[in-house]
This record gives sequence, structure tokens and C-alpha cells, in this order.
Amino acid sequence: MTTTLHPDGPAIATHGLGKRYGRDGVPALADLDLTVLRGEIFGFLGPNGAGKSTAIRLLLGFLHATTGQATVLGHDIARDSVAIRRRVGYLPGGIAFWDELSGERLLDELAALSGQPPILRQELLDRLELSAATLRRPVRAYSRGMRQKLGIIQALQHDPELAILDEPSEGLDPLMQRAFYAILDERKAAGRTIFFSSHVLSEVERVCDRVAIVRHGRLVALEDVATLLTRRKRQVEVRLRAGSVPALAGVPGVSDLVVDGQRVSCRLEGEVGPFLAALAGAEVVDLTIEPANLEDAFLEFYADDAEGDPSPTMVDAS
Amino acid sequence: MSLPLLGHAWRAFRLRLLVVAAALALWGMLLPIVYDAFGAEISEILDSGLIPEQFLQFTEFGGGDLFSLAGSVSLGFIHPIAVGLGLVFAVGFAAQAIAGERQRGTLEVLLARPLSRRRVYVTMAVATALFIGLSLLALTLGALGGAALTGRVAELGPGNLPVLWLNAFLLYASFGAISLAASVSFDRLAPAIGLSLAFVLVSYFLDVIGDLWPDAEFLQPFSLFHYLDARGALSGLPEASNFVVLGGVVAVAVGYALVVFPRRDLAAPS
Repeated sequence: MTTTLHPDGPAIATHGLGKRYGRDGVPALADLDLTVLRGEIFGFLGPNGAGKSTAIRLLLGFLHATTGQATVLGHDIARDSVAIRRRVGYLPGGIAFWDELSGERLLDELAALSGQPPILRQELLDRLELSAATLRRPVRAYSRGMRQKLGIIQALQHDPELAILDEPSEGLDPLMQRAFYAILDERKAAGRTIFFSSHVLSEVERVCDRVAIVRHGRLVALEDVATLLTRRKRQVEVRLRAGSVPALAGVPGVSDLVVDGQRVSCRLEGEVGPFLAALAGAEVVDLTIEPANLEDAFLEFYADDAEGDPSPTMVDAS
Repeated sequence: MSLPLLGHAWRAFRLRLLVVAAALALWGMLLPIVYDAFGAEISEILDSGLIPEQFLQFTEFGGGDLFSLAGSVSLGFIHPIAVGLGLVFAVGFAAQAIAGERQRGTLEVLLARPLSRRRVYVTMAVATALFIGLSLLALTLGALGGAALTGRVAELGPGNLPVLWLNAFLLYASFGAISLAASVSFDRLAPAIGLSLAFVLVSYFLDVIGDLWPDAEFLQPFSLFHYLDARGALSGLPEASNFVVLGGVVAVAVGYALVVFPRRDLAAPS
């Protein structure tokens, strides 16, 4: 059976995709509706155990969906798994290698198994600073960071149309992270699609066009990064001269307003313009609006977990 | 089948193959030499009546003995040393081929390539057959070498050696196919290798006990070792049923793996 390919269709499209494990049918992923456009960098966010890896493994055919369906580059995940993997580069989380091989031999063998020439290998080696001498050493002698670089290179060396990367920057030092982000930007500029899971919010904020947030196996948000940041509530502190406190209670987006003498603090969601307009007639001594960052936006999605479930273990690598 | 994957398996195991093949060749060579040196004396002792009749059954095992050339070669094929060396690939390689890669996490990297699970399985099955075949070829050639060293090639009947090799190959291939079936069924190596070894050991025990204890002879058809008839193969009169039974076991085990492996869920390694 063949799949009808739509060359201009989405890179990934899932409809009600779900997976239950075991006889008890423990749901690891439920009703995932997701569309990843071609040429975008898409972040897939969630704490450990949220269902990120399950979703990725379903897309690559490692797991069989209990419900729903999905296509990757137009291929049905249930029927055309091999065709999908021919066009995709994959970096598993916590990647393992045949440690007895040298780095060079390993990359050669993986390229041979892919059946595609490693046209980007040298460039990636240079960018990630893996020298020829390092590549001659057996992989078992590599540090965690070097193994991760090797993992990134094996996933991208054949210039795949879609790269699926599970926690790609884990183990990379800040300089290498920056080099890696630049590589992602270049692949995007070349028209490639990047789908990566992460719990390092600063990197998602830095490189992603859109993010999906999963929680307890369910999609809880699918947004542009910019929209997500706009929607989050920022903390605002204003210091005013005596007698000039304006009426801020009815301003759109303002909540948790506290007036303490000449000091005003509140939470601000959405556009800043109406708030600034409301301050226009007042004598402002100082104004602080905390920059929106994805970590806070993310934690707002997980606010319910704050008391009972400490599982969201987000990391800000900045 | 994937040639790059077969090449990977070959490069990873060729040194072990060399060691095992050398050991089997030496072992195969040894028994004709032992027969040449002591066969006549052993035969005389047996014929002298010194050994009570009840104990004579212990002088033959698995169709092998030390008072005929065919018997000594047969003994070489069924002896625990040969069996142990043969299992290095029939169980050791086959059981780890999928479950071992899965446990190490390298199956992810492999299946991230455009390879179907059936293709991975078939490649590993071919590699298992190749390693077993070459190991047993070394054993067979060792026996021929031992016969040549003692000037008894004609007595051995070298034309029948390919039949002996095929019979032994099918026996170990059946163990290999069962081990591979176990390998595709588990996420960890220990249960795959444990189940495979248990099957071989029980099979060997049933054959041995049936040989040594006439009342337990009915158990022998339940042992795969029963279908290795080295003496029959060397006499030029092999039983076709041996090949059919062993071939059937291989077919069933391969069929099981080809159905089960693609249907399994491969969750993230813990």
C-alpha cells in the first residue's frame, strides 16, 4: 500500500494520536493533534514522562499507535516507516553507540546504513570542533559532550529534510550549544525542518518558531514562541511621585494590582501599550517590566503541579 | 538483507570467529589422532570382556566412540567441548543480535536508518548462519585434517563430510533460530540468552540420558541433538527425517520472529 505524498504538505501532522502501554492501558500519549510546517524549527516541550519521547517513537515507527494517525513528510507512520526514516535524521535521547568503533568508523557505518552520502559531515565536524585525531579514537573514550556531538553529526550528516532531535543540546558546553543553534538556523535557512524535544527553555526560546507543550500525555499548548511570550503575565513595578497614582484597575491585561503608597505592582498580560497609556498622565520615577521568558510562560501552564506534583523539572541553561 | 549491517556484524565478530574456528579445527583434528593412537587398544579391551556388559553402553554416546574413525569424528561433533564452541555463535551471537542491541540502546541508532525490522532480522539471521557455517566448516576440515595426518582419509570417506557438515549446520542453525526468536522477544539480554541456553541444555540432557539409560530412550526424539546423526552421515546413509525435523524447527523459529519482531513496541530504553 502506498501513501499519497503531498510535497508541500506539513512535515508532521498528527490527528488524535495516542498510545497506551501494557494490559492496564496506561496512557502515555492521548489525542495529540499537531502540525509541524516545513521549514520551521518546532520545539516539543514537556517535563520528563510527559510523552515527548513516546510521540517521537510513534512518528518513527518504534511504537505502534493505539489511536489516531499521523504522517511524516506525507508518509503514513503505520505503513511507510522505512520511507520516513529514509528522509529523516534522528538523534535519540541519551544516545548509545557501538563503543568499540572509532568515531570516524562509526559515522561511516551509519552513513552506509542510511544509504546516503554524508555531504554535511565535514562542515558539522568543523562547526562542532571534533578533530580528525578525536575521530580516530574509539567512541568508548569519548566524553558525554563528544558523544552528543557525534550523535548530532550522525543525525544531520546526510542533510535530512526533517531532523527529529531528542534533547539535542544535553551535554554540550555553552559554546558548543551556540554553535549547534547556529547549525539549526542554517538548516532552517536551507529549507529543512527541525523538530526537537527539550526541557531547556532558554534554547527553545532562542531557536524555535513554534512550540507545543505536553503534560501528562496531552497537548496543552501549541503556539508561536512570540505569542506565548506575549500571553504570559509579566511582573510590573512602578514608582511614582506623590499624588500621581493613576487608575490602573481597569486597564486591559492588568491583574493582581497592589498600590503601596507611591509604589505600584501588578501582573501584566498581553500588549504593553494600554498600560503605558494609562501611566501617561502620571509622574513616573521608575518603571520595571520583567522581560517575558518562556520558562515563566511554561511554569504558568504547570501551575497546577506546583503543590502536588513536582515533576516539571525545567532547566534554564542561560 | 542489509549488506552494510552484515559487514558491521562481520567486522565486530570476525576475531571471535577466528578463535572459535581455530579451536574447533584443533578439536576436530584431535579425535582422529586419539583414535589412531589408542583406538585399537580400546577396542581390544572392549572385546576382551573385561568391561561388564551393563557398562558397554557408556562407551558409546551420540553415535560416537573411540574405536572407529567414524565414531571418533562423530564423538567430536557431539562432545560438550564442540557443543560449547558451537554455541558461541548459535546462542551467544544470536541471542544478543537484537536483545543485546536493544539493551545497549544501539538498536535505536540502527532502526533510525531506513531499515525495516524484518530486514534487520534477516541480516542477523544470515550473519548467525554464516558464523555457524564457518565454525562447523573448521570442525569438519579439522576432522579431515586429523584423518589426513594419520593416513586414514580414505577410511573416513571425505565425500560424506559435506552431509555431516549440513546435518551439524542444521542442528546449530535451529539453536540459532530459536535464540534469535528469543532475542526479538525481549528487551534485555539476560532472558534471551537464559531461555536459549536453557533450551539447549535441556535438549542435551534429554539426549544424554536417553543414550545412557535405556528406559529414558523415549525422551531422545524430544531433543534436537537426537537429529544430529554424524555416524549415519559419514556412512553415506543419512536419515532424511533428521534434516526435515531440524529444517522445520528453523522454519518455525524464523517465521515466529518475522511475525513478532515487526509488531513489537520498542519503548525508550530504561
